[in-house]
Parts: sequence; C-alpha cells; structure tokens
Amino acid sequence: MTTTDTIAAVKTTSTPSATSKTAGTVGSLKDFSSQSSGVRLVDITKVFPTPEGTGETIAVNNVNLDVEDGELVTLLGPSGCGKTTTLRMVSGFEYPSAGHIYIGNRDVANVPPNKRGIAMVFQSYALFPHMSIWENVAYGLRTRKLPKEEVIARTDKVLKLMDIAQYQRRFPNQLSGGQQQRVALARAVVIEPAVLLFDEPLSNLDAKLRERMRDELRSLQQRLGITSIYVTHDQAEAMAISDRVVIMKDGNLVQAGSPEDIYEYPTSTFVANFIGKANFVTATFVRKDGPAAIVRVPGEDVELVIPKPGKIEFKEGARCCLAFRPEHVALSRSGQGFPGQVTRATYFGDMVEYVVETKTASLTIEVNNPQISERFAVGDMVHAALDMDCVRLLADDAPVVE
Amino acid sequence: MSSVAVSALEPGIAPDRSPGKKVSSKTGMKSLNRLVRQPILLITVLSVFVLLFIFVVLPMFNVIKIAFSDENGFTWDYLIKGLSKPVYQRTFLRSIILGVIVAFTSTAVGYLFAFATTRTEMKGKKFFNIMATLPIISPPFVVSLSIIFLFGRQGLITRGLLGIKDANVYGLPGLVVVQTMSFFPVAYMTLRGILMSLDDSVEDAAFSMGASRGRIFRTVTLPLTMPGIISALLLVFIQSMEDFSNPAVIGGGFSTLSVDAYRIINGMNDMNMGCMLAIMLLAPTVCAYLLQKYWMRKKSFVTVSGKPTQARRKLHEKHIVYPLFAGCCFFTGVIILLYGTVLMGAFVQTWGVNYVLTLKHFSYVLTLGAGVIKNSVILAAVAAPIGGFLGMVIAYLTVRQRFPGRRLMEIASMLMFAIPGIVSCIGYVATFNTKPLLLTGTAVILVATFTFRNIPVAIESGTSTLLQIDTSIDEAATISGAGTWYSFRTITLPMLRNAFLSGLTYSFVRAMTAVSAVILLISPHWNLATTKVFALFEASQFSDAAAYVVIMIVIILAAMGIINLLVNLLLKPRAKAPSAEAVEAALQAQGSSK
Amino acid sequence: MKTRKIALALVSAAIALTSVSALAGCSKDSNQGGTSAAGDTNEPKVSKTLTVYTAMSEDELPAYATAFKEATGITLETVRLSAGEMVTRIKAEKANPQAAVAWGGATDSYINLQKDGLLDQYTSPVTANFEKQFLDPDGYWSPIYVGAIGFACNHEWFAEHPDLKEPTSWAELTSPDFKGEIAMAHPSTSGMAYTVLATILQLMGGQDVNSQESWDYMKALNANITQYSKAGSAPVQAAAMGEVAVGVSFAHDIMKVIAQGYPLDLTFPSDGTGTEVGAIALIHNGPADERTAAEMFIDFVLSVDGQDLYATNNTFRVPVNPDAEVGEGMVTLDQLKVIDYDAEWAGENKTNLIEMFQQMVDDGSNVKS
Repeated sequence: MTTTDTIAAVKTTSTPSATSKTAGTVGSLKDFSSQSSGVRLVDITKVFPTPEGTGETIAVNNVNLDVEDGELVTLLGPSGCGKTTTLRMVSGFEYPSAGHIYIGNRDVANVPPNKRGIAMVFQSYALFPHMSIWENVAYGLRTRKLPKEEVIARTDKVLKLMDIAQYQRRFPNQLSGGQQQRVALARAVVIEPAVLLFDEPLSNLDAKLRERMRDELRSLQQRLGITSIYVTHDQAEAMAISDRVVIMKDGNLVQAGSPEDIYEYPTSTFVANFIGKANFVTATFVRKDGPAAIVRVPGEDVELVIPKPGKIEFKEGARCCLAFRPEHVALSRSGQGFPGQVTRATYFGDMVEYVVETKTASLTIEVNNPQISERFAVGDMVHAALDMDCVRLLADDAPVVE
Repeated sequence: MSSVAVSALEPGIAPDRSPGKKVSSKTGMKSLNRLVRQPILLITVLSVFVLLFIFVVLPMFNVIKIAFSDENGFTWDYLIKGLSKPVYQRTFLRSIILGVIVAFTSTAVGYLFAFATTRTEMKGKKFFNIMATLPIISPPFVVSLSIIFLFGRQGLITRGLLGIKDANVYGLPGLVVVQTMSFFPVAYMTLRGILMSLDDSVEDAAFSMGASRGRIFRTVTLPLTMPGIISALLLVFIQSMEDFSNPAVIGGGFSTLSVDAYRIINGMNDMNMGCMLAIMLLAPTVCAYLLQKYWMRKKSFVTVSGKPTQARRKLHEKHIVYPLFAGCCFFTGVIILLYGTVLMGAFVQTWGVNYVLTLKHFSYVLTLGAGVIKNSVILAAVAAPIGGFLGMVIAYLTVRQRFPGRRLMEIASMLMFAIPGIVSCIGYVATFNTKPLLLTGTAVILVATFTFRNIPVAIESGTSTLLQIDTSIDEAATISGAGTWYSFRTITLPMLRNAFLSGLTYSFVRAMTAVSAVILLISPHWNLATTKVFALFEASQFSDAAAYVVIMIVIILAAMGIINLLVNLLLKPRAKAPSAEAVEAALQAQGSSK
Repeated sequence: MKTRKIALALVSAAIALTSVSALAGCSKDSNQGGTSAAGDTNEPKVSKTLTVYTAMSEDELPAYATAFKEATGITLETVRLSAGEMVTRIKAEKANPQAAVAWGGATDSYINLQKDGLLDQYTSPVTANFEKQFLDPDGYWSPIYVGAIGFACNHEWFAEHPDLKEPTSWAELTSPDFKGEIAMAHPSTSGMAYTVLATILQLMGGQDVNSQESWDYMKALNANITQYSKAGSAPVQAAAMGEVAVGVSFAHDIMKVIAQGYPLDLTFPSDGTGTEVGAIALIHNGPADERTAAEMFIDFVLSVDGQDLYATNNTFRVPVNPDAEVGEGMVTLDQLKVIDYDAEWAGENKTNLIEMFQQMVDDGSNVKS
C-alpha cells in the first residue's frame, strides 16, 4: 500500500496505486490530467433481480448527473426512488448495471470502495461498537498506514473540530445520539476524502437536534470544501443544506436545480407537490402571448394570463394544470379571485392554513402573520386571488391532493 | 477483464432493455471482475476453494464413486437396493424421525440455557454456562453408558432407588434423551452468540409499548433469534443423523442409517453399499440445509446496527427468572448425574460391581495412555485454531462477499459434517493414500479430518452472528479505506468474538473426542485417546475408559480456559486513546515537518 | 496494545510449536522407515519397526511389544481396530497398504481378505506341529487361538429367579422364561454372532441354508432378545450389568469380564457349540522393508513364547500351538462338545445367510423398547 499521506494528494490524484491500476486497464478511455474531485454519473442504470428471483426491477434508470468540485448535491425523493442505490453506486458498494461513474475524471468502475478516496456517513452511523471514539475516528487513518504522529495529530484535530475530544476514551454506546452523529461525521472527514457521501445521516435524531446538526454539517462541508452527495427524503433538510437538489422518482431523475429553482420552477406536479405544498387547478390552454400563457379555467368563465408559466409547451386547446403555492393566494371577503367557502382553518402561530372549496378545486391557502391580517372562520364565503406571477403551468397529471 | 465493464457503456443497452438474463450474467461477470480487483479477497476465496476441493470434494467424489461402482465399473445396483429394500426404507425413515425430534428437544434445551444466561439477571449464570458446554466435551457413548448405569435394568436409580425391575432404556425414547443431552450444547453455543448480540433496545421498545414480557418474547425475541434457532435445529439434526455411537449403544432395535452404514461396511465388508447409505443420509441433510438457507434469505434480522444503544438492565422479574432457573437446575442436575457417574466410575474398582475407591485406573491410563493423550491434545490444538479461523473466514465470505460459487462454498463446507464418520474415513483413505496426495499415516490427514468435519459449527455460529450485524458497519470500514483483510481482522473478527470462541471450543473438543471418523486414519504414531477409550469400552474395561474420559475432560476444560483467555485478549475491545502528552508531541512533530 | 501483541505472539508460538511437533511426528515415520532401509542394505532388509493392524484387545498389546522387542529388537507399532474395521481399512488402503501384518480377528475376515487378493501367502515353520484342522490349506493365514461360544449368565439374576437354572443348551435359550433376557450381537456386525448363526445352521440344518428347523430356532431366539448389539463383546457387558440374564459370546470374552469381578457364570451348550479360530497374515503389498520383520512377528506369535502370553496376559484365549501353556481357567476344546465348524462354508454363505437373517428373523420392525 502506497497510499498518500497528505490531504492534497488524496483530494487531487487519489491513491497512486489505484490510479496506475486503472490506467493499466481502462487507461485508454480517460485522461487523468484533471485534478478535479467532482463526481459525474453517465447513463447510470441499476437493475436488481426481484426477491423471488423471477424478474428484474429497475432501481435506477439512465441517470446523468454532474457534481461540481466542492458542491453539495442532495438526492431527494420518496423511499424506493433509487436515491440510496445511486449513492451506493458512487461509494462502490453497488455496481451499475450500465453506465459510468467518474470521480475526479477517473472512471471508478473497477475501483473498489476502499480505493475510491471517498467517505460516507451512514444512516445508522455504523460506529464500531468494540472501539473507543478515538479508535473509531482514527480508523481510516490507520488503514492508510500513516505515521503514528500524523494519525494522532489529525485525529485530535478532527475530534476538537467536532467538539468530541472529551469523549475519546468512551465507547459508542456511552454517547448520546447527537454525539454519536458527530463521531460518525468525524470518522468520515478525518481522512479528508475527495467526496463525502451522506446516507440520510440525520434521520435518527429528534427534530431540534436534527436542525442543529444540519447546520453544523453544512458549515463543516463548506469550510472543508468537500464535494458531497447527500441522500434524504426530508425536503426541508434538502432545501437547507444543498447547493443543488436532485429529485428522483421511480429510478428516474425528474428535476435538478438549486433549491430556489426547484421550489419556484417545478417542472412537474410531482416535484411541485413533493417540495413544499402546492395547489393544482386543471385548465385549458388557450394560446401563447409572448412569454405569457393564456388559459381558461373551466367553471370560472374567465381567461387567466400567466406571465411566467415555465418552460413547458402546450398545444392550443390542450389540458394543462395551474400550480401555485398556498402562500401565493390572497383571501378576501369580497374582491377578485375564485369565489369559495372556507371549510377548514388551522392556526399554526406563524400562519393560518385555510382550505377553501371553490367551484373547480379545493385550495390550500396560507395566510402569514395571522396576528395582523384578516381572519376567516369556517363557513365564511371568500374570494381567493392568485398571485399570477407565481403561477406555473404544468402538464395535467396532478396527483390527488392530500 | 475491463472489457466487460466497458461494454456496458455501449449505446442501446441501458434505457429500455427487455428484462432478461443479459444483465444477470453481466452482474455475475462483474462480481468476478470485482474480485480480481481485490487480490487479497481473491486469494482467500481461491485458497478456501482449493482447500474445500481437496479435503471435501475429492473425498466425497470418491465416496460417490465407490457407491456407484462394483468390480465391473459403474452400476445403479446399490442405489436401487438402497431405495427399494424395505429394511433401508425403514431405517431411513427412522433416522429422519429421530433427527427431527432431537433437533427440537436439543434446541429447546439449548435455548433455555442460552436465554437464561444472556438475557436475565439470574444467579449462577457462569456456572450454567460451563454446565451447558460440558456435554460436548466427552465422547458421546459415555452418556449412553451413564444412562444404562443409572436408568437401565440394574440402574442405580431405576433399580436401586425406585425398585423398578424391568426398566428399558433402549430404543427411541432412550436415544432421544441421550442425543438431546449430547447435542444440546451445540444449540446452546449457536444461540448464546446470537442472544448476546441481540440489541436490548428492541425488547425495550416493545416493552415500552406495553407488551407483556411473554408477548415480547413471542413477538420480538423469538423471531429475532430465528436465524440462530434455525441454525441450531439444522446442526443438531445433522449430528443426530450422523451420530453413530449413541444409536449403536442404546438404539436397541431402533437402527439408524449411520449405524447401518457402519454395520454394512465393517460387518458385511460391503463398502459400496455403506457409501450408498451415506449418500442417502446426505439427501435429507442437504434438503434441510437448503430449506434453512431459503428461509433465511427471505428475512433480515439486523439488530446490531452500529447505532449504539445504552446498556440496560436485563430481565429480573421473579416469575420469569425462577422457572428458568428451575429448568437450568434440572438439566444441570442431569448433566452432573451423567458425568458424576463417569467420574465415580473412574475411581471405583469395577464399575457396576465393586465400588471400592481406587486410583489404579488413573495410573493405568497415565502409564499406557500418556502418549495418545498427548497426540490428541496436539492435534486438537492445531486443528481448533485452523477450524475456528477458517470457519469465520468462510462465514464472512459467504455472508458478506459476492463471488461466483458462493453457494457452492457454503454447501461444500457442510458436507463432511453430514456424513457418518466411517464413510468420511473411506473417502479420505481413498483420496489420500496414493501420490500425489499421500497423507495417510501423517498428522495432516487427522488435522484435515478434524477441521473439515467440525467446521460447520463455526461457520453456522459465525453466519448467524454476521446476519445480525448491519452491513453498514463493514461498509464503514471499507469506505474508511480498509481492504478486505484489514476490515476482517479489525472489525468482523472482533465482532464475531463469541462465534469464534464457540467455533474454536467446538473444534477442539470434537478433535479430542472423535471416534469413528478417525478409525481408518490413525497410525501407530498418531493414535488417539478416543480410539483407546472405545477399545477399552468394547473390552468392558469401563473404569479404565472412564479414567481416560475424566483426564480428557480435565484437559479440555483447561484448554477451554486458555482459548477463552487468548480470544478475549486478542479480540478485546480497543479502548485506546492517546494521552495529552502524546497528542502534544504529535502535533509538534507534525508542525515542525511542515 | 502491548498485551495484544504478546497474546498474538503467544498464539503464533503455540501454533508454530504444535505444527512443528506435528511435522516432526510425520517425518519421524518416514525417517524410521528410511534409515532402517538405508542402514541395512547389505543384510536382508530388517526394518527396526513393524506396523501391524490388530483386532486383539488393547490390553494384550503391550506384552507382545515388549516380548517381541526383546526377542528381535524390532519395535512393534500397532493400530488397534475391530476385526471388521481392520478388513475395511486394509481394503480401503489396498492401493498403498500402510501396514505389513493383520493380526487377530476370526478366520472369516481373513478368508474375505484373501478373496480380494489382499493377503500374501506365508507358511510359518512354527506351524509344522499344529493340528491340521486349524490351518489354511493355501497358507494365506495362520491360526493363533481358538475359542468356543458360551453363555454368560448373570448369577445374581438367577438367584432372584430360583425356579430357573442357567442354560446349558441352545434349546433352553428359547424358553419363554427368558423373554427379553437374552443378549446377542447382530450377525452382520459381529463375527461372533455370525458364528452363532452358522453354528445353528450347521448343527440343526446340516449346512442347508434353507433349513426350516434352523430358522425356526433363530426366530424363537429372536423373541427373547432385547437388542442385537453391534460388538460381539456387548452381550457380555449387558449380562455383566444385569441388563439381561444371559449373553451369548465367546468363552474367552466372557471369562475376561468374570475376571474383572462381574457376577457372571460361564456355561456351554451341551448340544454342541461353534468355534472361531483367530488368525494372523501378511498384508499383500505391505511396506517392503517390513516384510522380514513381519514374518519374524508371525513366527513369534505362533511360537510357544508368543502363545504363552495368552496365559500370562489373562486373556483366556486357547492357544493353537500344542506346546503352549494352557492357562488357569481356560476352557480347551477337548472339554466341550464342539461341532465340526466349517469356516470355509460359513465364509462363502455369509452374505446370503445375513440377508436371510434380516428378512426372516430380525426384520427390524419389532422394535423392542
């Protein structure tokens, strides 16, 4: 083992032995000049045999993704969407059925997980129960056969960074959940990996702690500048920590973009509904008017002008779907908008959530600052006015609104 | 090799493939491909295959060859005879009936002890632990003999205490008792490992949800320990099927396949038919084995997730602990009685007749038997670490690694365990009596027999423990940069400590106590204590035989202590953390070097 | 960390030590063979050691080893097996036999081996004055002792049943009074039990394998038998421990148990009993350098010195060398009514008779529990 012993080496060239090995086998395909530690997935597909062994299921279907150097990308989606499988293919624990994965421009198809120069934080933490905290954190350094002093120094640095140095003699089962989480994180970052993978690392913590750890984790990642891929099913978590969010569904990558992008310009009702809440109103596309779109909502005998409908093209007369967030609707007792009746009002402190039945749809509406804004009661007749700038036009495959 | 991976990139394959074998075969190739990338793993897998091929597959092949050939070459005769003759059909059925009954009784008793000593705060747990492992440490026919002495027609208890004149211990009921007492320790050791590593919080969670203790046991503990239970059932079933000495001594008219195989080989000198019976014996065993694997594959039993939980108080409610305690006491009493009988037999003039105390049998054994006892100890001491370690390696490979032929490895490692000793002997002699594999007369052939006949116990306890440990712990080690071997040594093996210990102990003991499995392999230089005991037993020198057994028990107990000590020392939890001074020094050294 | 390293070192040391001694043990074998072969190239090769498979009792062996060493300087190395196991082992090893001599066990085993061509002819000069009826006409094996079938009767049991007397004929064994009180080995596993079967067929059926009278007798006997044991010695143990009243076995096996102090009497069937002749032979293709030593050992076992060891060993075996001492308590054949047991006939019909026995007598369905 001639593993590198400095951070820079690990980050940039990865281990020489692994490199040369790869070069010898698939060297003709790729160039190794780049020093980037980004991750690139090209046409990745993963097929599993079904448990009965009779057929196959496609867990990940033809996914393409570029993760820039230093970027934190979140794979978000409901369970079974293929996000964890994708992560495990990057880690090397699963091998793609088709497609290529590049870490820092190196095709890692034939690189085993322990030679990929990556680290991973597991959902269950996967701390070694028979080792002290110090041994747990130092483990990755010791596998690299680094000099003793360096192991001690680097471990100590990370233990202090994570504020767990005082527990170094304890065993994992003597720590609280948050402390265990820090140990897991410390163990991952101590090897200064080229890429850091997170597999739902916060799902075992209670809500308060989760938020705090989330912020710690994000600031640590930014400070160290480690390229990271983060898997979660919690959209708030994804929004809070990501440079970019990738939304997956049934093995397919359905949308990728910055949190703002995803929230403000969902390209499907699935994404609109999965990230935050959304109302969907079925409509008929009338025509285009420059960038704006004009639609007709059945039952409301008006044509609506939508200035920023998004990128989806419709034929004239086609069915489409208006999507808008609950906070983008204004309620009034009289005035513009769809007339309707309040059927539910829920008080949350920072806002009140109303459900209003209109002729065409049941709308969820959030009114902020209930202390200073007008309040409505169940049974009140109201008008719901949409902020047309925030309405998007999507294909009409609206899911049943829960 | 790399071309395989590259070809996957060819256009048109990825998106809308028709589901078919194309991908599966590719995955198979890929697992092979991956193996080639991990030289240490590859070498290990290959070495295990080579060892299994030489010491299991070749001898088995030779046994099969003998069963399917006569002077004129290949023949179905023996198979037809074996299947069609009512005598064999009946024996076959009886072997299975006995195996099933004993599998359940032994596992039940083993579970009782394992549960009591790991999950409760009962008094005397250490003592019960020793008592539950005691019965594996002597040749099984000693238990039969003790039962006859105690409960037979002239039994100390039946005749002496109860005045029953025509007590009969022969036949199925006696055999069930004897085999249960002989084999429950195997179930105990398998189950103990799994119960110890069972995460307390799972039970706590159920308890906090208001479930009663009984309900928790039924709905949580029992299902979670299923892999261990199934393993134990399988191991005992196989052992009962394979057991020769107990049915031979106490079976009465209840003859089993392995006794028949012995009888046909040594009595009728019909090696072919004997080998055929052994192969017939394999059929239910392999079926049971495959059934177990099928059943286990469908379930996941992870309870050691690497998400540590705080230590907690174990079961202490009186209404639970007392009955368990009583149960343990009862079986311990039986064990003490059985072994006490042997112990007493060793110190009296003539067992069964003259109860004047004497040490003459010990001086007989120590003058005539020192050499063979030394041989037994040496061979067991060599075979046990090899078997225990190889067992862990195979368990690790088959549970945690993916490579072509994995299932083959699992099955091959089981075969030698499942065939009667005399037949495995024939296979070994047929394989190792001629060049290039000339091993007869050497210690190597005995070590190999011990290793490969006993390894399944280590594999099974390792497997069931591994199935309970979340793979992410292994993955965490791998992703931290550990290669297969390093990860095995620093993570897997320490976490398998209890299973490893069971495997080592069992291998050592069985090597010390094997009888029919070595009868054709011993040589003048490598004669063993057990064959002497068996010979003395046949010559009715019961007290001398008992003295041998007592001395062997003492040696085995000492060896178990040493094994325990070494394993604990080697695989103890790593509590290390550097002192403040060391950190300071390291930081300075780092600083100055930069 | 330090303790771990020490422990590791200890374990490796232990393993290394044991392996080395194991290997040393292996090389010891070859060395002894090798040096003796090399050292004695000029003279007729006489190995310093001799490997023997034997079915004699464990406790008899040391005396032979000592006496043979004194007489010839050759170390006797024995592997003790039951007679059946000995035959199996010689058959299994026939490609490369590991021993030079087969010693002990009845002649049927030797006839069996000879049929497979696994014995070498050797006629010891010592047998010149032996009775011809004991000798193998082809000279493949030599007789070493004779034994007669007898009944081991537990006299404590008979004391409790004063109306019954210890059986002294085959017929008495089938009496309903002895239901569940007779122990015998199974003819398929025990040469001794097969001798009983062959004796009955010769006594009652005049060597007619289908003799109704003989098989009726065996069926009647079967009704009284608790279990057919594997080993021929087991019935004696059963009787010794009072498990049964009567055990059928060879006289010398019974007398050995009596000598240990068990409450047994030895009786013989007055209507004629069967005998076994113990034998010794050279194994075909055995280690070449041990050949001379093997012949020397056979001569020794047959010699007066060798045969006298039966008496000094308290084995109660009856010597076949007419000049050997007949020990105290030994029952010689001239004291009994012995049938003219045809070992050749018995050997030829063994498979057949045992199959008939299993079909007609012990069909295994009568589990006696």
